Amino acid sequence: MLEELKKELKALSAEYAKIKTLPPEERKSFGVEMNKKKQAILKKIEEAEAASESDNLEPLDLSAPAAPNSPIPTFKKGSKHPLMTELDRVVDIYQSMGFAVLEPRQLDDEFHMFDSLNFHKGHPARDGYDTFRTKEGFIPPAHTSTMQNRALVKYKENLEKGLPIAVVVPGRVFRNEDVDATHEHTFYQCEGIYVSKDATMGNLLGIFKHFFSTYYGQDLRIKTQPGYFPFTEPSFELLIEKPKSLGGKGDGWLELLGCGMIHPNVLKAAGINPDEYKGFAWGGGIDRLAMMKYGLTDVRHFESGNLKFLEEF
Amino acid sequence: MLVSLNEIKKLVQIPADITTDELVKLIGSRLVEVEGTIDWSERYENIFVVKVISAEDIEGTHLHLCQIDAGKSEPVQVVCGAPNVHAGMFAVWIAPGAIVPSTWDDEHFKITMRPLRGYDSYGMLAGPDELGFDTEHSKIAEIDPKLNVAPGTPLKEVFDLDDVILDIENKSLTHRPDTFGLIGFAREVAGILGIKFEEPEIFSSELDAKLKSLEKSSNDFSIEIADSELCARYTAAIFETKDALEAEKYLTADAIFLAKAGMRAISKIVDATNIVMLMTGQPLHAFDYDKFVAVGGGKNPKIGVRLAEDKETLKLLDGKTIDLNHDDIIITSNNIPVALAGAMGGESTEIDASTHRVILESATFSLYNERKTQMAHGIFSEAITRFTKGQPAVGTRPALAYCIEKLHGEVSSYEDDAPGFNTKPEKITLSLDDINSLLGSEYSASVVKSTLENVGFTVDGEFTITAPLWRTDIHIKEDIIEEVGRLNGYDNITPTLPLKPMIGAERNQLFDLKREIRGVLSDKLNANEVLTYSFVSKALQEKAGEDVEDSYEIVNSISPELQVFRQSITPSLLEKVHDNLKAGFSDFTLYEMNQTSQKSLGLENILTPEGADSHGTPAIENRLALVTTGDFYQAMAYFKNLVEALHIKHLFISYDHAGDNNVIKDVKGFQRPAYLEDSRYVAVFIRTEDNMQVVPLGYIGEIKRSVAKKFKLEDTVSVFEISLDSLLRANRLDKISLNFSKFPSTTRDVTIETEKPYYDIECAIKGILEETPDLVYSLEPVSVYKAETNLKKANLSFRLTFANTQKTMTSSEISDIMSKVESIK
Repeated sequence: MLEELKKELKALSAEYAKIKTLPPEERKSFGVEMNKKKQAILKKIEEAEAASESDNLEPLDLSAPAAPNSPIPTFKKGSKHPLMTELDRVVDIYQSMGFAVLEPRQLDDEFHMFDSLNFHKGHPARDGYDTFRTKEGFIPPAHTSTMQNRALVKYKENLEKGLPIAVVVPGRVFRNEDVDATHEHTFYQCEGIYVSKDATMGNLLGIFKHFFSTYYGQDLRIKTQPGYFPFTEPSFELLIEKPKSLGGKGDGWLELLGCGMIHPNVLKAAGINPDEYKGFAWGGGIDRLAMMKYGLTDVRHFESGNLKFLEEF
Repeated sequence: MLVSLNEIKKLVQIPADITTDELVKLIGSRLVEVEGTIDWSERYENIFVVKVISAEDIEGTHLHLCQIDAGKSEPVQVVCGAPNVHAGMFAVWIAPGAIVPSTWDDEHFKITMRPLRGYDSYGMLAGPDELGFDTEHSKIAEIDPKLNVAPGTPLKEVFDLDDVILDIENKSLTHRPDTFGLIGFAREVAGILGIKFEEPEIFSSELDAKLKSLEKSSNDFSIEIADSELCARYTAAIFETKDALEAEKYLTADAIFLAKAGMRAISKIVDATNIVMLMTGQPLHAFDYDKFVAVGGGKNPKIGVRLAEDKETLKLLDGKTIDLNHDDIIITSNNIPVALAGAMGGESTEIDASTHRVILESATFSLYNERKTQMAHGIFSEAITRFTKGQPAVGTRPALAYCIEKLHGEVSSYEDDAPGFNTKPEKITLSLDDINSLLGSEYSASVVKSTLENVGFTVDGEFTITAPLWRTDIHIKEDIIEEVGRLNGYDNITPTLPLKPMIGAERNQLFDLKREIRGVLSDKLNANEVLTYSFVSKALQEKAGEDVEDSYEIVNSISPELQVFRQSITPSLLEKVHDNLKAGFSDFTLYEMNQTSQKSLGLENILTPEGADSHGTPAIENRLALVTTGDFYQAMAYFKNLVEALHIKHLFISYDHAGDNNVIKDVKGFQRPAYLEDSRYVAVFIRTEDNMQVVPLGYIGEIKRSVAKKFKLEDTVSVFEISLDSLLRANRLDKISLNFSKFPSTTRDVTIETEKPYYDIECAIKGILEETPDLVYSLEPVSVYKAETNLKKANLSFRLTFANTQKTMTSSEISDIMSKVESIK
């Protein structure tokens, strides 16, 4: 094939020599015509040469991990912890909505865990939190709400400037319970706090709906269920329809948050006048979001430090 | 708490178009979290009331061969082992093919015809246990012949068994003691359906009026309450009874009522008090009057309510003697303890077969003390569960009257002491705008009015709202707003997003830094992030050489593994290194970012408002620890790559030999971890951005051999643990210098034989290059070689690349530089 093309090219050069015998007025069009033919042949030659180069390659088993006698390519698999990735993702959405971020302290006190949140001293509602305690009476937080009072104190001046307080608190919390596939004594929550002159419960529903619709990339229906928390009044729990990405078909519901309008005593404890300002707060677990996302059935993986698990992320 | 829907339906007329499913959903969305429903509608299929025609002993066994009338043309043969089976009785027959009701939720045991001792037995005669009403296994259930049930009648037509029972999450009703009785629960159900609740008769019974008239008219006993905070109201009546202890012989509607609530029939008086409690939420307690008087010395009986004194003891009904404490409320007879109030009666006043006069108590106690009593003595009864919610004082007398009526008791005297019963109802004034602006709703005044009136509130004008006395949870505007929102359904409120000025969210520097580090360590350097517990064992701290006394200790830890708050992260990671090596992994790097604390760091007061009852919380350090299965240089390489990626300038490393001025040897206030090998660690420092101070960042080093051994680590493991709080303060220069030269560059390898440390040689080469004007260069280590014959000297090889930014360098200029470099020793 290549040989034939080369012969053809030779023949063409020979023919081109005829140009001298032609009358001058015909020479130009003859030249153009000949050049076209030449280019066409050159292109074919190039293609033929390329094809023959590829033809000369050794056949390879493409399903093998490496070429014969070559080292198998390997990469060390770095990984971020899936709970941290999820927490980042949750916080990202809230930050894009204008929420500042405060992290909880892993050793806190009675005031931040209970008193400032309108839990009366000795009230049985404190039992529901199964708190750990240190000898000195400090409390590893059983919910991220330990930061509510600090968030309100920190951003109180926003209100005077006519701006809302908008804070989320992502972090580690602790409950005194035995560990099994669905219970951990150490887990992660994200709290949200919003206070302004005209905050309404409708806003709380709106933020919740917007957040989870963004998080799951799908417009989701929401519903409520009454609940009781001393630090919110009214209090309730929020559910979303099971998203398509988790196999939802429009019927199941996921209970994701406890929330409510911030109790006037909680605002007062931070020096905010509840007659002037209203707010709402909510909190939900991060572990569950990650478990549902990755189809995990055993919460104990998270703190296992097992590389087999970690390298999946 | 278990709630029977049929019982609710007896109290509220549920509209016909609302299905059970819809009703459960409405209750779930507007009243309380329904954990589950227990559907009885199919549970009692193929179970019938039958008449035993004959019951003959099967010789040599405890069995009886019975012929029963099951309403069929022929008698049915059943073998029955119960001692109480006899001809003429009405019993309950589980027909072949039916599921034994008590096994419905688990094994689903199906009854078949089976031969027993050579006799075919068709189905079984059921005991209360098999029917799921009781745990009683010694006899079969008997139906009162006076009920005149035709043999063969389905059991569910005789008793109210076609029911759905709700399993209620108590926590979500912690603040609503009134809903812990069926009446209160039903009132709420009416409210969410938009129906006016008709208060049942029992609260205005004749007996209630009679009790009122008897008050203070007799001197059979008196009541003395030490403190109205402990006991807001104590009502009690004395009445005569002969058969208080007698257990009901027959399976009754009451037994089934109790079974639906998860309780069982015991005796007439206990059943009556339990039924009244389930209906009203008010627990009752019965004392034997004559024993009560005797315990107190025989005359002028006085019921006392006071706190126990330490060292007092009380023998309870269950036979245990407990040490009372100063938080326990007790009932006394002339100051002698006879009952642990709200929790359990005492043995000395127990009702028994000889009892003929009863004191029935209906009282309320401080929920705070009840909770402490519950915890201290581990008593978790239906009664104390209700007391810990704070039963309203208004309900005591009607509950008492209702109970005596059920027992057909003849009351001889009644006392009512109510020092803490506030009979003035809570009045709250608020506007329609208060409601709609908090909820973001558009309710009309008439909707608000009817919503509240349906559940017993009185509404005057727009609005002065009077809460019924049983609503002890209503105190502020928001409580009323909650009622309006909840009863009408929060789901009917339109979700809206708040409008706020377009100001970006404030960044959290620490949170962002951690994210950045994760990007470098995991994505760039291929390390694996782990999370480990914040609590560790004392043993772990000891292994790592930490001072356990300096740890915050958890007093109620789950296990010794989780007893102290950690002082550093590295020991936790070493455990994970061991686990992963054991699992077959090699050459890996784990890191974690988390909080640590030590008592010696003291307390901090972060953002705590003035006047708060908070005296500071433990100082927290945010740290990053990284552990790698390699030597010192590997940990150092991770560290250097990390700080380089973070653009940290001004890093100081305490190579203990160096003569450099920047090196700080004395590391005050920053204790070297005991788990680092003495000769194989360095401390690192940074210069702060704000005031250019040099502050410690942390340590890099190999794990001490003896410590590694304790962690069962055979090969070298290295680590760095640094303070993220310090790193956050570091001077970071994002500006980078890209000093390229457009002129040709020269690359030369050079090896220097020296006894000096690498760092000194590196500095010396840099010094030569930097003193040459217009030179750009890079200096890369190539190898560090020591001949085994001379361990003192090392051959340090570098690759040196340089160029002039102004011109092409001449060969003499190049060799000039190289000869200077090569002459370094």
